[in-house]
Amino acid sequence: MTDATSGGLSAAAQPKSSLLQPSRLMKKRNAAETRFKAYGIAAIVLSLATLGFMLVTIFSDGVSSFFQAKLSFPVELTARTLDPKGNRDRADMVKITTLGYNKVLAVAFEKELAARGIAIEGQSAKDVVEMISKDAAGSLRATVLANPSLVGSTLDATVLATGRIDGYLKGRVTMQTAERDSNVTPAQLQLADKLREAGMLTSSFNWGFLTMPDASDQRPEAAGLGVAILGSAYMMLLVLVTCVPVGVAASIYLEEFAPKNFWTDAIEVNISNLAAVPSIVFGILGLAIFINFAGMPNSSTLVGALVLSLMTLPTIIIATRSAIKAVPPSIRDAALGIGASKMQSVFHHVLPLAMPGILTGTILGLASALGETAPLLLIGMVAFVDNYPAAPMEGFLDPATALPVQVYGWAQRADPAFIERSSGAIIVLLVFLVAMNVLAILLRRRFERRW
Amino acid sequence: MTVLFLLIVVAVLAGAAFVLCRQRVMASVQGDPKLLHSLPMYYGWNGTIMVLLPALGGLVLWLLIQPMVIEGRIAAALPPDMMAAGGSMDLVMSDVRRVAGGLDVAVSTGAMTAQQAATISTESANIRDTLAAVGVALGADVSPAVLSAAQDYRVMTAWGMMGRTILTVLLALGGLIYAVMITNRDFRARNRVEAAVKGLLIAASSIAVLTTVGIVYSMLTETLNFFAQYPFQGFFFSLTWSPNFRGDSELGILPLIWGTLYITLISMLVSVPIGLYAAIYLAEYASKSVRAWVKPLIEVIAGIPTVVFGLFALVTVGPMLRDYFAEPLGWGDSGSSVMTAGLVIGILNIPFISSLSDDIINSVPQSLRDGSLGLGATRSETIRQVVLPAALPGIVGACLMAASRAIGETMIVVMGAGAAAKLSLNPFEAMTTMTVKIVGQLTGDTDFAAPETLVAFALGMTLFVITLALNIVALLIVRKYREQYD
Amino acid sequence: MNDMRTLERIVNSEAIKISARNVQVHYGTTQAIKDLNVDILDKTVTAFIGPSGCGKSTFLRCLNRMNDTIESCRVTGQIMMDGANIYDPRIDPVQLRARVGMVFQKPNPFPKSIYDNVAYGPKIHGLTRNKAELDEIVETSIRKAALWNEVKDRLQSPGTGLSGGQQQRLCIARAIATGPEVLLMDEPCSALDPIATAQVEELIDELRAQFSVVIVTHSMQQAARVSQRTAFFHLGSLVETGETGQIFTSPKDPRTEAYITGRIG
Repeated sequence: MTDATSGGLSAAAQPKSSLLQPSRLMKKRNAAETRFKAYGIAAIVLSLATLGFMLVTIFSDGVSSFFQAKLSFPVELTARTLDPKGNRDRADMVKITTLGYNKVLAVAFEKELAARGIAIEGQSAKDVVEMISKDAAGSLRATVLANPSLVGSTLDATVLATGRIDGYLKGRVTMQTAERDSNVTPAQLQLADKLREAGMLTSSFNWGFLTMPDASDQRPEAAGLGVAILGSAYMMLLVLVTCVPVGVAASIYLEEFAPKNFWTDAIEVNISNLAAVPSIVFGILGLAIFINFAGMPNSSTLVGALVLSLMTLPTIIIATRSAIKAVPPSIRDAALGIGASKMQSVFHHVLPLAMPGILTGTILGLASALGETAPLLLIGMVAFVDNYPAAPMEGFLDPATALPVQVYGWAQRADPAFIERSSGAIIVLLVFLVAMNVLAILLRRRFERRW
Repeated sequence: MTVLFLLIVVAVLAGAAFVLCRQRVMASVQGDPKLLHSLPMYYGWNGTIMVLLPALGGLVLWLLIQPMVIEGRIAAALPPDMMAAGGSMDLVMSDVRRVAGGLDVAVSTGAMTAQQAATISTESANIRDTLAAVGVALGADVSPAVLSAAQDYRVMTAWGMMGRTILTVLLALGGLIYAVMITNRDFRARNRVEAAVKGLLIAASSIAVLTTVGIVYSMLTETLNFFAQYPFQGFFFSLTWSPNFRGDSELGILPLIWGTLYITLISMLVSVPIGLYAAIYLAEYASKSVRAWVKPLIEVIAGIPTVVFGLFALVTVGPMLRDYFAEPLGWGDSGSSVMTAGLVIGILNIPFISSLSDDIINSVPQSLRDGSLGLGATRSETIRQVVLPAALPGIVGACLMAASRAIGETMIVVMGAGAAAKLSLNPFEAMTTMTVKIVGQLTGDTDFAAPETLVAFALGMTLFVITLALNIVALLIVRKYREQYD
Repeated sequence: MNDMRTLERIVNSEAIKISARNVQVHYGTTQAIKDLNVDILDKTVTAFIGPSGCGKSTFLRCLNRMNDTIESCRVTGQIMMDGANIYDPRIDPVQLRARVGMVFQKPNPFPKSIYDNVAYGPKIHGLTRNKAELDEIVETSIRKAALWNEVKDRLQSPGTGLSGGQQQRLCIARAIATGPEVLLMDEPCSALDPIATAQVEELIDELRAQFSVVIVTHSMQQAARVSQRTAFFHLGSLVETGETGQIFTSPKDPRTEAYITGRIG
């Protein structure tokens, strides 16, 4: 160790300042430290603020879709228009289209206005009647056809107001915007004010938003999430049924039985790569294989569920494998030690112990499948569907749509009332997602086991 | 017999096999299960498996092969001038199937007797009107060739159904008899059942591989179809994207790649610094309680569906950028823009980068931090000069994965980036990406013979290859990095 | 102890470098150090010995405030260095650590080149004006750490590629390069083989010419070989401190005696 003694410039020869006096360099370094830390806080604050901002805008846009302006007035179901033959026979009454019911509604509405002494200043009768949603005639017709004996009586009807009147009550439509809008006039809005004073126009909770099917471009007020919720529920059910057994079986094989060979490696590499494949590619797969090749019906929940299953499979496999891995080998040894076969030790001991972890992973996988949109667009689920799918088994082949796809579909429409619906649909979607995540957290808390 | 009924028959046979095998083995030991090799239940299950496996296998094979065989024979029987006049084989075949289906409906509703359906000819009746009456609408009058092909099709399908039923039931019965025959007290039923279960497990885990094969196969064949109709030089090197369903489209991918990369670049400029600084703060500065709250909150972002971000881009971010930046600065008046989509994808990727980086930073050994702090380095100096360089490979890997997610992101660009394929540097201009065009070309009415539709598969293939390559590189980097500290 | 060399050592300085008074350390609710008083002399090797968990490493980490990096750790009392209490709120721990260097149990070279490892401290503390000066500090420090001959031809290769003993000497060189006045060593040889241990011990002896060295060790032989003064810790308190020869030959406290004769430990 001779070189240790050589002199040279000694670092120790630096002038010593008092420890209590921070040097100028030290002040600079501390400032840099403070800045660096501030960047970190800023990054977190920024991302959380953006998240908050996004949620607040969506909620403030969307909450109003849960309320709906409705007009209530007595409607005389004139037999002359609705049942010209007068025999109350449903088969004959079916021939009366919504046009006939429109007439009935218009007459009744004008009559009620006159009865209440609400003046219609400077408006044509047509303008006044147009405040009633185009959906109203259809729903009235359905009511009457369901019960033909109603004809001739007077019904206390509550019908939807048009989207613009609804928007006026919610503050989205104002006198200023109405002047530039071809679909509504300021006079209609003034009339709406009077109707509201008279108690004919009220805003109430909009159950229809959750139950009704989608509606066409002219009737945003009638558009609901019924088909979308049902479609999403069907798909989640099918994903659960197809994806979980396959995912769990694959995980058991890979964790417990797989020999170290080429095929196992191929599977492993495939799983980790599939987890990173863009979701739209799964849509292409669904379109090419399930629809074009296998001839399954377009827009059906079955195809949607198969595509989502393939997408969710890697997530479930990864979660299940880590749950299986967490079961200590001593459990397996104990089972094997009393003469159980490998298969018995896995199915009788390892799998039940890993179940909570598998369940949690499954719920989280389902939650991400529930929010997936892009692949469903390619298999035609964005098409306009206003019929509910049938009950399960055949219903899985019926066209349907899904919650996130409905969000997209409405966002593409021109009428701003659909943006409100779109945000409302997001609220519903988020409620489901939050519920699933809370369930996963509760399960984890309840069953978490520390080895 | 319909498939469903056939399945029920097979299930019943399988149940019978369970009971028979179990009874037989119990009888062979006079009811004392201790003399058996396996539990009695396993003998039963073995019987069930022996019925289900061959029967279902045969059924699936038959279902796959029958349409191919029938359509091949029908096609061979059709006069060759049909193809030239009536367009492609697919269209003629779908006509044949439709007419045959219509005849089926007519027979089942009683509009026609089975005899009539088999002998009816175009001279004697107007098939189109007859079928329309039972609710099957045809696009055009039925030609004699199609009608006779449809009648042949019905005959062959009926024979096929018969053959299918016989084969399946025979296989099931054969399996049952074989299972009962081999069942005796020394038969190792458990091993047999376990081998079958293991086969099932292997099959399940092979689905991942099958999916990849399916993706590659479906995209590759259609991509090759596309390149048969459209020159690949035009696809890869043309600077113009203007599809035109009347033909003579220009389908150059370069503007789409440019849009994709531009948006990805902006998203990375947002997500990498924010995500990385957030991760650094959480890993190195935050107290336990702050971390316990903030980390899950940031990860909430990752749990929100992308369509929500898409709506946010469309309704809030786009108009805001347009009103406060683009228009005042004279850079454009479009709400959808590269900037809109890039910003929002950036936000979406923040939790991705931050949680991956957080893991990676945490796996840097504490001793390195101690070494640096012990020399009198401040925390930030320690992080910048010791921790980050040590974690760099992992962070690069995380960034590559984030980039691959941004490239493959669909909903945000569909709703926020616009649809015009442009090669422009102005980030406030609407541009478009590969994913937008895949959605655009494959939704709505599509004609799978036209290059304008098939190009979507070529785009998908390109997207798949790019993201796969990025992910593989990222995985290799991260794996190498893990080995360093494990 | 049969190694009588310790008796011949003389303590060559009586100047007190660090003096600790009434030091208490808590981790959360558990007390790790109780009411500790000790003086550490300049240009002397002081060994802290004692059974595992007795607080000697904790106390060592108090001397350059490394305990600040542990969230739950609380230190009370006074530790004076050159007349200033290092726990004074006006004291910047970063500046303190530049003057009280530390070498850790496990060699922890940064994943950088050998040169950059040693240059790291001088660079962050702004000790040099140019590259030539930095080169000189690096060379001097590596020479002082008795590593120069082994690494002079590969200064740009990564420090993690060295052998364990070389890595530890690199860490010592890294600590010396900032020009500390005190060098704290936390069981510096526990991860090394006997040959490397001998090299590091010899090095410690040479370093004492310039610094006050405090070494925590599990090995009583090592304490006897390298130190002039020894402090014996037991259950979080300082039992006895004195010249090494005296502690090992005629301990005053029965617990010390029990420990060095192997009855507790």
